[in-house]
Amino acid sequence: MHNLILKAKELLENKIVSVIIGFETGSSGKVRPVFITDSNKADSLIFDERCIQNLAVYLTKKEVKQFGKMGIVATLPIMRSIMVLISEQQLSPENVVVLGISGDGEVLDFADITVMQHYIEKCELGNPAKEQDMLATLNRLNMQEKFEFWQKEFSKCIKCYACRQSCPMCYCTRCAVECNQPQWIPVQSNNLGNMEWHILRAMHLAGRCISCGECGRACPVGIPCHLLTMHLVDQAQSYFGVYAGISDKMSSVLSTYAPNDKESFII
Amino acid sequence: MARIGVFICHCGENISATVDCGRVAETIGKLKHVAYSTEYKYMCSDPGQTLIKDAIKEYKLTGIVVSACSPRMHEPTFRKAAAEAGLNPYLCEMANLREHCSWVHEKNDMTTEKAIDIVRILVEKVKINNALLPIKVPVTKTALVIGGGIAGIQSALDIANTGHKVILVERSPSIGGHMSQLSETFPTLDCSQCILTPRMVEVAQHPNITLYTYSEVESLDGFIGNFTVKIRKKARSIDEKDCTGCGLCTTKCPQKKIPNEFEEGMGFRPAIYTPFPQAVPNKPVIDREHCTYYIKGKCKVCEIVCPTKAIRFDQPDQILEIQIGAIVIATGFDIKRTDFFPEYGFGKYKDVIDGLQFERLASASGPTGGAILRPSDGVVPKNIVFVACAGSRDPAKGIAYCSKICCMYTAKHAMLYKHKVHEGKAHVFYMDIRSAGKNYDEFVRRAIEEDYVNYIRGRVSTIYECDGKLIVKGVDTLLGAQPLEIVADMVVLATAGVANSGAEELAQKLHVSYDSHKFFAEAHPKLKPVETNTAGIFLAGACQNPKDIPDSVSQASGAAVKVAALFSQNELTREPLVAFVNRCSPPLYSTCVGCFLCQSVCPYQAIEREEFKNRDGKTIKTVAKINEGLCQGCGTCVALCRSKSIDLHGYTNNQMYTEVMALLNVY
Amino acid sequence: MSEFEPKVVAFVCNWCTYAGADLTGTSRIKYASNVKIIRFPCTGRIDFMLLLKSFANGADGIIVSGCHPNDCHYTSGNFHAKRRWIMFKELMDFMGIDMNRITFSWVSAAEGARWAEVVNSTVTRVRELGPYVSYKQMVNTSIEEEVTHA
Repeated sequence: MHNLILKAKELLENKIVSVIIGFETGSSGKVRPVFITDSNKADSLIFDERCIQNLAVYLTKKEVKQFGKMGIVATLPIMRSIMVLISEQQLSPENVVVLGISGDGEVLDFADITVMQHYIEKCELGNPAKEQDMLATLNRLNMQEKFEFWQKEFSKCIKCYACRQSCPMCYCTRCAVECNQPQWIPVQSNNLGNMEWHILRAMHLAGRCISCGECGRACPVGIPCHLLTMHLVDQAQSYFGVYAGISDKMSSVLSTYAPNDKESFII
Repeated sequence: MARIGVFICHCGENISATVDCGRVAETIGKLKHVAYSTEYKYMCSDPGQTLIKDAIKEYKLTGIVVSACSPRMHEPTFRKAAAEAGLNPYLCEMANLREHCSWVHEKNDMTTEKAIDIVRILVEKVKINNALLPIKVPVTKTALVIGGGIAGIQSALDIANTGHKVILVERSPSIGGHMSQLSETFPTLDCSQCILTPRMVEVAQHPNITLYTYSEVESLDGFIGNFTVKIRKKARSIDEKDCTGCGLCTTKCPQKKIPNEFEEGMGFRPAIYTPFPQAVPNKPVIDREHCTYYIKGKCKVCEIVCPTKAIRFDQPDQILEIQIGAIVIATGFDIKRTDFFPEYGFGKYKDVIDGLQFERLASASGPTGGAILRPSDGVVPKNIVFVACAGSRDPAKGIAYCSKICCMYTAKHAMLYKHKVHEGKAHVFYMDIRSAGKNYDEFVRRAIEEDYVNYIRGRVSTIYECDGKLIVKGVDTLLGAQPLEIVADMVVLATAGVANSGAEELAQKLHVSYDSHKFFAEAHPKLKPVETNTAGIFLAGACQNPKDIPDSVSQASGAAVKVAALFSQNELTREPLVAFVNRCSPPLYSTCVGCFLCQSVCPYQAIEREEFKNRDGKTIKTVAKINEGLCQGCGTCVALCRSKSIDLHGYTNNQMYTEVMALLNVY
Repeated sequence: MSEFEPKVVAFVCNWCTYAGADLTGTSRIKYASNVKIIRFPCTGRIDFMLLLKSFANGADGIIVSGCHPNDCHYTSGNFHAKRRWIMFKELMDFMGIDMNRITFSWVSAAEGARWAEVVNSTVTRVRELGPYVSYKQMVNTSIEEEVTHA
């Protein structure tokens, strides 16, 4: 933690960055994101096992970008989000400094994006173990059971779109649900519309999700909607052999193709 | 308020025999916003079209649905009629009641119900159609002809003679193609070189033709009227301006034992060579793969002997970028070689040769000076067997098609042999004789009746060597399938004509389709045999399927006319069914967030960047923009766009959504 | 008529399957009239949301069909569509939506007879599956909720 603070102070003092996006301790012992622009306040930065939020979501927010160049405390999912954002031209590599945090909490020094890319390549990129188990359990259900499981979950949905707001990859200024010509997704919350929304969201993240699980954590009613996108992470890997967010130059799975893509259901 | 007109066509009885057209017209007429609904026997006829035009005016229609045959058939007809009545043509839709309904279903209520549904979907769609204006694009009046065989030569000359510029690209060092290798041509037996070489010279001297030999197409971008081609001009290793074509270098080159491609491997050539004496251009190339200098780093004999100091060992390949408006593909064909036939010895018997090799043997300029001599020992063959359909019409060998030219050239070969070896015996094994063509069958009859060529209807099962002779085992199906054995001195296989090497790769570079045999695919087998599915790209000659010289030349002239017609206008009118990215007022400018994933799905590089700047010139937003000239309207970007910022004219999100809704919900 | 007749929507591309279905007509090959065709320029244009909307509005079965790989009029629209359908199908399977009700096929402009087969086999299969009850129930409860709220 000490190294992190020193590094953040150095970046701010030398005016390399104008803001550091990181974690601090909030009220009643919870961690919360913090945006530090004054090096004297960098002492509040923390990093521990509670710091799991995907902070990359702030990199595309106008309110944060206005500070200028951004430094960000980044675990692996955040680093991978940064890669996706750069490849989708939402973030310029010149506009971000990554304060990497390794799996065992060490501060990593990334001279540039290429160095970060080499680090990512060496990491385990699949879904987290806990989610793997949950996916396996769900995959064992039959069609009707799966349908009922998700119907029960979606019946809780209040269409607050916290799943969307928390996701760094959902950076659109106008989301498809806000489109009313035609009205693809009904405005009100009902089972059909809720399900359509979650399908739409998962398809839009197909081949772009980096398995941070933030959408599921953000959901106020506890819908495990991160399993939908994580399921597609597995599929993208098994069909096309790729994980998202491993390079700043890659195309997403659905914006590219290989002539020999294999499937077994098209007759 | 929409005022829709619906016109139900009986198509004689084609539709009305199974669909109750009266009921369709009546039911549809009751729909909201349908101002007029009627039926008529033939909507596409003159009175039918007049009926539509009059109704548009009389009922002040804002959109029409012509419910008749497939829009692929008559959409242009009815859109034109709408335009003539003052209605924007894109406010006319067609409901496919014939191909998709009356012809495929029995006469019953369900079929009529389906017809009503089909019309209803399009009524709902046309209500939200937008008036669209055609897109005008300029035309670059320069044509690219790929391939310098007889088809390419003919096309290039015909286009050039209409006054337009032509770029002719040929990958080998000389133009001429396979025709330059032939001895005599059927059905007249005139010398191939004699009729071809004047054309080759004409190409070289034509002021409108720029010839690039030893060159290949590297890439192609753009669209009809506005292509950009990159041509790789391979290093000839000589300066073409300084070289006089004296040929001294070719006689002094110490490397002399390279199999000669032009002689089909039956002679040798040096490392610096012109393919044949009448080559155009008559300038040698250095074959770097075999040249001693490039292999060992020393020699340079050619440089020493060259009187004009034209040798350039360090010459690099050049990439030329040229703007063109249309393309003729004339890359020709190739034949299967003898090694394709295990039953005939995999090409290991020297005296089993293919048709092109025989042409060279029979040619006065060939390796034997025109004498028919066996490749193995140079002896005149007394007994010669010709095998037609070697590989062709043989699904087991993967070639189900007829190569078309073999029957005729086999007859020609047999005649040439008999004219040169009077005492010799010529046998032809054939499956059927296909000699349709002017004076073709007469030619074959001459071979049989005047030159006593022995035609045997049957196939050859195997050929093997025994005591310096070739044993040809076959069957005579006209004599009750009797097994037959001929002891031959030489065998000529009329091997199957196949797509030229690199055809598939070229097709992919040019974005044109090709068939399973890698022959280029025409846009329509009967009505568009010269066009490809890619606008502005045409076909000539055997690159489409095996063809003889007259067919190749006719098609080449056909392709030239297509190009000339395209170049007769200064602007092209394109269908406005292209994608567009929405625009709105600042500070949003567009709902597009500029992720540019659409750029990578676009097959036409039609998606560009548009930057919005503030007063200080600083870019505040970058969004996608469609180049209307390049977009072909596939809509892949539309379905990919997450924020629904791209849409496609004619197939908008709203229109497609409405169609689905209309189809499933009866209003 | 007591037997259930399914509603089938076909999303087809203009250049291959639509033309193939035209050829079915020209060849006078008969097929089930349950299917209704919606014409798209290319399979690449087909939005997965339209498939969901079809089920939501009462379709019992869906056909999605375009040019065979390498035959796309636009060279690559069908390849992109294929990837999209792979992901879509896996997601649907994971959510318990009945993918037996959707036929994905490649039917060329020359395969008139094949189009009839694709339609007939889909209609037969969906007829056996019966109406898409679970989906329809979900739709109905959603509409009821709406009415109650109003």
